[in-house]
Amino acid sequence: MGWYGLAGADKPDYFNAEFGVTDALCQKLLAEALSKGGDFADLYFEHAISNSIALEDGKVNRAYSNVALGVGIRTVKGDQVGYAFTQELTEKSMLAAASVAATITNGQAREVAGGFVGLKLENYYPLESLLTAVPLESKLPLVQAVNDKCFSRSPLVAKVSAGFHDEQKRILIVTSEGRKAEDLLPSNYLSASVAAEKDGKRETAFWNLGGRKDFSYYTPAVVDEVANAVVDRTIILFDAVQPPAGEIPVVLGPGVTGILLHEAIGHGMEADFNRKKTSTFCTMIGKQVAEPFVTILDDATNPNLPGSINVDDEGTPGQKTVLVDHGILASYMHDKISARHYKVDPTGNGRRESYQHYVMPRMRNTYMLAGQATPEDVIKSAGNGIYVQDVSNGQVNIGEGDFAFFVSRGRMIENGKLTAPIKDINIMGNGPKMLRNITMAANDLEMYRGGAGMCGKNGQSVPVGFGLPTVLVKSMTVGGVKAQGVRG
Amino acid sequence: MNKEMRDLAAWSIETAKSAGADDCRVEIGRSRSVEISYRERKPENIKEASTRGLSIEVFAGGRYSSQSTSDLRKESLQTFISTAVAMTKLLAKDPYRTLPDPKYYLGRPELDLQIVDPTYDQLTPEDRHNMVKAIEDSCLRAGGEKAVSVTALEKDGHGESVTLTSNGFEGYSESTEYGAGADMTVRDENDRRPEGGFGATVVARKAMPRPEEIGAIAAKRALDLLGAKKIKTETLPIIVENRSAPRLLSGLLSAMSGWSIQQKRSFLADKKGQRIAGQRLTLIDDPLLVGGLGSRLYDGDGFPAKKRTMIESGVLNDFYVDWYYSRKLGWEPTTGGPSNLIIPPGKRSVGEIMKDLGRGIFITGFLGGNSNSTTGDSSLGIIGKLFEKGEPVQSVAEMNIAFNHLEFWKSLAEAANDPWLYSSRLIPSLVFTDVVVSGV
Repeated sequence: MGWYGLAGADKPDYFNAEFGVTDALCQKLLAEALSKGGDFADLYFEHAISNSIALEDGKVNRAYSNVALGVGIRTVKGDQVGYAFTQELTEKSMLAAASVAATITNGQAREVAGGFVGLKLENYYPLESLLTAVPLESKLPLVQAVNDKCFSRSPLVAKVSAGFHDEQKRILIVTSEGRKAEDLLPSNYLSASVAAEKDGKRETAFWNLGGRKDFSYYTPAVVDEVANAVVDRTIILFDAVQPPAGEIPVVLGPGVTGILLHEAIGHGMEADFNRKKTSTFCTMIGKQVAEPFVTILDDATNPNLPGSINVDDEGTPGQKTVLVDHGILASYMHDKISARHYKVDPTGNGRRESYQHYVMPRMRNTYMLAGQATPEDVIKSAGNGIYVQDVSNGQVNIGEGDFAFFVSRGRMIENGKLTAPIKDINIMGNGPKMLRNITMAANDLEMYRGGAGMCGKNGQSVPVGFGLPTVLVKSMTVGGVKAQGVRG
Repeated sequence: MNKEMRDLAAWSIETAKSAGADDCRVEIGRSRSVEISYRERKPENIKEASTRGLSIEVFAGGRYSSQSTSDLRKESLQTFISTAVAMTKLLAKDPYRTLPDPKYYLGRPELDLQIVDPTYDQLTPEDRHNMVKAIEDSCLRAGGEKAVSVTALEKDGHGESVTLTSNGFEGYSESTEYGAGADMTVRDENDRRPEGGFGATVVARKAMPRPEEIGAIAAKRALDLLGAKKIKTETLPIIVENRSAPRLLSGLLSAMSGWSIQQKRSFLADKKGQRIAGQRLTLIDDPLLVGGLGSRLYDGDGFPAKKRTMIESGVLNDFYVDWYYSRKLGWEPTTGGPSNLIIPPGKRSVGEIMKDLGRGIFITGFLGGNSNSTTGDSSLGIIGKLFEKGEPVQSVAEMNIAFNHLEFWKSLAEAANDPWLYSSRLIPSLVFTDVVVSGV
């Protein structure tokens, strides 16, 4: 028994085969979108299927799925955007949407050449089979096994919620410049959340593994890793203490802590904020912003990571962008609108949540290259401070560069050594100041291996990845409850 | 009631039952919305959207699943629904999963909630453009030379939905919503470019503040952020501004759900009937508020809407327990989630309270942070104003407050007289004493 699937999704020219979206029809829609002028127009067709199964109280006893089908039509004039979408792929509905998009401008019609050339793309997430074609019977045991492993890992485990989520998204982008690109994006993860009880106290934690994976990724070893990680992350919290509040040295462990880069510099380097001069980084290109050992990338090409994309959502091929090159601020992340503004090539960062949304510059997988030190040396150099292991969420005010991220698990550092565990602490900093304060990086770059990492911007949510080696930031504001010298 | 939508919902139930479902709940919705923003005195984005969708919850052989689609063609739906039923049968049984006993559907109030603006269809594209232009204009004027960028925005929408169950529930709801606002970025020292703004959401156009007012308030709020600094870590009274207070309250609400209690993730699970907050905290959930953004006649289970006092003078009275978790817990159900939340306002203005307190921090926004519903521990970044001798003297940023909800709400000293009117959280500014505010 299959589940909701994309019929014939392994076929090229999917939207033509399934919905009769021909080149001639696309040309007609683009002509309507440019019927009042404009610099360019594009069509974004999407057919996405998502399936989730979830376990609660010992049984996989609920399933959810969603089918999304539609086309978004955009007309662009300078930095002005007209946008409309329809869920009916009929010529009449699509023409009506195109004529709404056209209202952003009011000039002479612009001709659209036919003969769209399909882009040849690399594939950063090849699949042996579609996850939607994998029978439900094969997914159920994964989730059940995570539950059983969690309970056998510790007698303190009281409740387990576990789930498997997968999405397959088929897209077709057609532009008035004569480009056409098709992609199939998988996105999936196996997750668990545990509540444990000890001496009348309760703690919870969450963990997941996934990305743009093939189903063959989900081996018994992955099941074990999810279960062990989530249980160990929960149990240690019973011993957690509160760190002191105030400015202290912070060491970030490798992996998910890369969210620090995402908030502290990533958002501020999205070019829309810079062309509007609303980012603190808008005057800093070419300037030294960090020590020479600091190189930060935003990369679409990492195999099977959640932020990897073969092509962005306006037809620019997936690529690697150097944001900070040996301490020098090198490039913003561009979509087509900002690239035209800055007279540079787009960097493939034009992304959108779905056909219901217009494109904006967005991050993909953002990480910092490894340094020379050992992780132990970095911790030792901190003296007294805190060590961050898991981060659950973050936020930034672009204009000031002030950011925060929430530490769900970490440790105290006392006299250069890791000591008591800590939890539930917000850490704050200022992006440019924090970059200058990265004084050491270790040789252990690790990418976050979860698939559930989402980034929100202007109401749109897209999957992203992070990575970081162990780094020392010499001072950040830690939001503990004990004011030094005020309350014991 | 929209007949076409109702007929499709009834057909979907029949289709699911013929495919082998014992019971089901179907909701069909559709909406239309328009969004216009201006920057540099020209339209930046114009967006129009029409959406429709069907979701179906299937109960078959003691098993459960929920599916949704935007493809409402009958041929597609036929396959969609029969696949849903077949797939449901592969899951494990869940004895708690049923439609509610129909006796719980009885007693739906009959009143006009006034959540549809009868003038909605009269709104023209020109009206929209004129409104956004006026907001932008007043914001730019009030911002003066400090303004780097202003984005002004208007959006409006109209939606309707039909819900039908195989055991006799039938509901229809329709509503309108208007939003308007502006964000302004201002030039500050040291490459800092703070952004501040103002936005309002209302059910009826006539309740929207004037565009000139929206723009001017947005500019003032942005200029208020200039010169922000971190001050030293200190224990101080805080006033949390009305529009930001819901963020604090969400830490309590997340621990008040049947799910979090049954799944052992609630620090309030055993606190019913006990004092969890200061005398000043009364929290009312009122789905029947006329013209409210969260108003409704029935909830997700089809239970009739009812006003409830969730917390009364600091004592926890009730939880949000839907049908499913009521069965798991062996409790009577209440309602699955909040509608309009009201904390009764006090008598004094924020200005008067500041004068009385002398020195403290007026929190106007949060940055990052989180709240743990299992333990009640919370840590939030803050921005706002330090006030001394009753007057705001210094903007603050990059600072933080951390607390446990069970302690924190006991330090609630006062509610101001300024309930926020532009969301479903009608909460006034709240005053707390002795909070550790961490900075340098």
